[in-house]
Amino acid sequence: MKDFEALKSIWHDQVALPKVSHEDVLKKVRKTRNGLASRLLMEMIGMGIFVAGLIYVWIESPFKMWTTHLAMIIFIACCIYYIIAQIGNYRRINHNNLLDKPEVYIKYLTKYKHDRYIFNTRKYSIYSIFCTAGFILYFIEIAFITSFWVTVIGIVLTFLWIGFCYFVLMRIYIKREEAKLEEMIQNLERLHKQFEDTDH
Amino acid sequence: MSKEALFKEIFQANSKKIYHLCYGYTGDDETANDLMQETFMKVWQNLDKFRNQALISTWIYRIAVNTCLSYLRVEKRQPKDELTENIIETRGEEISDKNEQVSALYKCIARLEENERIIITMVLDELPYAEIADISGISEGNLRVKIHRIKQKLTELYNRHERF
Repeated sequence: MKDFEALKSIWHDQVALPKVSHEDVLKKVRKTRNGLASRLLMEMIGMGIFVAGLIYVWIESPFKMWTTHLAMIIFIACCIYYIIAQIGNYRRINHNNLLDKPEVYIKYLTKYKHDRYIFNTRKYSIYSIFCTAGFILYFIEIAFITSFWVTVIGIVLTFLWIGFCYFVLMRIYIKREEAKLEEMIQNLERLHKQFEDTDH
Repeated sequence: MSKEALFKEIFQANSKKIYHLCYGYTGDDETANDLMQETFMKVWQNLDKFRNQALISTWIYRIAVNTCLSYLRVEKRQPKDELTENIIETRGEEISDKNEQVSALYKCIARLEENERIIITMVLDELPYAEIADISGISEGNLRVKIHRIKQKLTELYNRHERF
């Protein structure tokens, strides 16, 4: 039979040492910071080029119908929304909340997970609806300036792609995310209960 | 003192205890090293804000605790039954006996609830109760009651483990 003091002495006898040195930490800091910054930059540049391309097409092409102009506005607004959402996400990920009390921190994590889920599901649906509306409006003028079959093929391929993304890829993604999220939320709620400052 | 020199000093003074906390929480050497690394990355990123703080170890522990807690949110992993062999260095038969005891102690800690693992690791490392209360966000009065219960639970688990 051992008492707690004996366990304490066992604990202090261990010579377990971390395998990570302070140099390793600094190396990782530099690598991570550069990686994150370049990823953010690449995404921003990519989307920026796409928006610039859209604006160029909009200015240079002799669009005559208001529906096409509205389509262009919708496309550009969608791209800008995407950029703003990405910046917001990165900011939130990097937000320094690790110094919060565990209970507060767990609450933050739970909310963050919920928000990410809404972003990936509900907001993506709205984004898809706007993109579809943009394409519908765009193809109205295309139908007048190109042949019937070119228009039909264009419309079919575009909507097949949007449908595939929304009904197949997104459904699989949402299902997986939902299961993972449910487990995470359960874990976080269990942890939250443990840190509640009550004598139970 | 340069930022890098200060960081080195802080790392050397706290890394072992933070590693123990992470090891006690995860029961896995590799993950404990990862979590410790993540903790000190955050320490480096926030070092300027805390340069003049008296109890620098308190906020390092706070970061470590939150890092450990968020580890579960990424992937639910249960502590391994078989702890890796490098818990302690092997130095003959006498040490081998101690190895077993340390291994058994980690196994028993792994059977506690998450917050209990965190608290008891700090108790074993002899942190003052006021500091543990500050880190865990639990009032000192409740913490004392909690610690008393965890100590009993761990001792019971250990003795039961020894009997079988």
